[in-house]
Amino acid sequence: MAGRGKHALSFKILGECSTSKARASAVTLPHATVEAPVFMPVGTQGTLKGLVPDQLRELDCKIMLGNTYHLGHRPGPDLLEKAGGLHKFMNWDRALLTDSGGFQMVSLLELAEITEEGVKFKSPHDGSMMLLTPEKSIEIQNAIGADIIMQLDDVVHSSVSGPRLEEAMHRTIRWLDRCIAAHKRPSEQCLFPIVQGGLNAELREKCAKELLKRDVGGYAIGGLSGGEEKSDFWKMVKVSTDLLPKDKPRYLMGVGFAVDLVVCVALGCDMFDCVFPTRTARFGCALVKTGQLNLKSKSFAQDFRPIDGSCLCPTCKTYTRAYLHTLANTEAAACNIITVHNVAYQVPSVGGWWPLCWALLFLSCQTSIVLILLTFYFFLPLVLNPVNEICIVYNP
Amino acid sequence: MKYTVEAVLASGGRLGKLSQTSTAGTIAMETPMCTLFTKGGSAPHLSAVMLQRISQVPEVACMSLGSIASHHENVREFGKGLGEFSAMKDKVIFTTLHDATAAVASGKNDKGGVAVWGKGGKMKLDPQLYMKVQEAFCPDWFQALSDGDTDKTCGKKRLLKAVDRTLDFLDDIVEMKNESEVLKTSSLIGAIEGGYSVEERRRSAKETAARPVDGFLIEGFEKGHSSVDLFADEEFMTVLTETMVHLPDDKPRMMDAVWSPLQVIRAFRLGIDVFSSAYPHTLTEKGFALTADYSLPPTSQPAKLELEGSKENSASSGFYVDLNDKRFFESFSPILPGCGCYTCANFTCSYLHHLLNTSELLAYVLLTIHNFEQYFKFFARLRETGRQDKLSELEQSLARQEGGQREDVVR
Repeated sequence: MAGRGKHALSFKILGECSTSKARASAVTLPHATVEAPVFMPVGTQGTLKGLVPDQLRELDCKIMLGNTYHLGHRPGPDLLEKAGGLHKFMNWDRALLTDSGGFQMVSLLELAEITEEGVKFKSPHDGSMMLLTPEKSIEIQNAIGADIIMQLDDVVHSSVSGPRLEEAMHRTIRWLDRCIAAHKRPSEQCLFPIVQGGLNAELREKCAKELLKRDVGGYAIGGLSGGEEKSDFWKMVKVSTDLLPKDKPRYLMGVGFAVDLVVCVALGCDMFDCVFPTRTARFGCALVKTGQLNLKSKSFAQDFRPIDGSCLCPTCKTYTRAYLHTLANTEAAACNIITVHNVAYQVPSVGGWWPLCWALLFLSCQTSIVLILLTFYFFLPLVLNPVNEICIVYNP
Repeated sequence: MKYTVEAVLASGGRLGKLSQTSTAGTIAMETPMCTLFTKGGSAPHLSAVMLQRISQVPEVACMSLGSIASHHENVREFGKGLGEFSAMKDKVIFTTLHDATAAVASGKNDKGGVAVWGKGGKMKLDPQLYMKVQEAFCPDWFQALSDGDTDKTCGKKRLLKAVDRTLDFLDDIVEMKNESEVLKTSSLIGAIEGGYSVEERRRSAKETAARPVDGFLIEGFEKGHSSVDLFADEEFMTVLTETMVHLPDDKPRMMDAVWSPLQVIRAFRLGIDVFSSAYPHTLTEKGFALTADYSLPPTSQPAKLELEGSKENSASSGFYVDLNDKRFFESFSPILPGCGCYTCANFTCSYLHHLLNTSELLAYVLLTIHNFEQYFKFFARLRETGRQDKLSELEQSLARQEGGQREDVVR
């Protein structure tokens, strides 16, 4: 079992693409063996938006996320420890990953101040000043007990450059060492460091090289979901994956649009997460190959097809777009029903486009196949992104 | 719809068999029973798959027109009726006018028709439009259009009007139903009105029973679903008893009210056969979980009893517990040990408290499952107790349990 190894994670490549850096792999964690590439749905507060864990199991979901910032507040690490960890608390026996809490500090809180010690912020609950240090983040994540935990990193918006960006990169490495030192359950929880460096290739390289000196079970690529240009974003992913070792999993944080998944799989990333599929479901939007259907729109009032005729999820087997249209405007049940489809769409082997992609990768596909897939899924995005931008990724 | 009385109980109420035959076969049901409360054609908060995790789900899905009437043209275009449209193909579909849990504005009905409310606002239904909607929906049972906008404050003139109007609507509907190919096999449920006037109730019952209806829905006691406890008033019971006398025995009597198990027993003993399951939904919406004990003598230990430092109700078990309460923060036991529902088998009070505290959707999913399961179980227990002729004991036990919670049972 992975739990007994040096790291709480073992990684096995099952097949590789001969052209791109894409690979199919098995990531073995204490609570599950996860086939990658994998999309991990986000269950912020110890629940995935109205779904019970059994539904996620039925959708073949093997790993989901929890957010340290939210769980640290409510119900708090003390209770989670008493409950026997988040797995037991929420009755999820498969793998979990928690972030460090740093991203929410910076994105949610106006008054966050970052010092060498940690992230200082004003509690949204009682207004008192609090400090999230690398040690504190790991302490909370140890209490939550996820299979994969993340280092606290110094997150800056992707538009930031210059000395602040450089400082953040260096600080991220210093904080990593503090996180490694503070980690009390390395045989049960695998700590991932994070490649930072914004949109500066040189900084990313420097950062990745520093991380390589540390003994870790896998790597994350961070700071890249802040609305930067696709060409910059893909270039930074490529710079990072070029340096990261092939024999460890690579987790691209906060990325979840279908087109990004396909490109970044080709660039060698294995794990992804994003709130988008679950968030958009709450607004009545269902994901399909051509984008998303806003089921609240009148155009679906007499559309008696399922969301996606080729999808095998319970939602597509049960409901028509027309009925979901009547529900989406008024009833809470609509959110659950659409979320099931959107998770199925993103998670391997059940819905949407992903199984096709995965199967092809698994078969160690030839040059053309990934390119055909890319062309297909780029059909719409191409309107926005000129062809040469995509070429940059492949012929740098 | 076919109804037969199996036994009339000495302690009041009757046990019966209700069967519904369709092309798919015959569904046999026993009364007293409840229907499945729905919102927009689905069980509240639940997908069809999640509904399957509840045991003893009623065979009849009750769908109020408010939120769905405006979609009737889409359902007509669909062509297979409301049941299949809303993924409830296997259920007996019963369309009613109003959502028992939603407040209804008063004074909007007139001679021409009745107003129903959805999220999109008011929709005025005259008999023609009403039947157009029903033809699109093809329900197995449907309530006749009615003016139930009356209560104890209404004077004689208003009650007279309500009864007359409802009978006029019924005549129109019977005529249109006879001419309708689609609704030929649907069962028509006549509405009994008359507020608190025994005289008007009697007239409404007699006149409605003289028309070709298959069952009766007794309403018009509370305007706009005021959520007052009707049983607190002796007069309500007198009026209801008097109404029953004039209804034929071979047709089911229904009331679509938000009633706790105790209120259901009382109404059953006065002769009601078919109830709504709106009550557990109102508890769910508040973060409450049903913990009433239906065994005789009561044996279970609701979660709240195991907690220290609980407030005034700690000594007696109650009908429900409020999971928003901080005392559940560290309670790692299920809501009701031995409950057997999906929620109690998999989740703790502490987790449910956390979900409520963070306003997570799953809180309402899990509470719906528990509260429905408990309420459906109560009806099975009610039938069993009826057969054993121990209704008085069950009523007394529930009355004791209700204890200090009586005042805010509903909403």
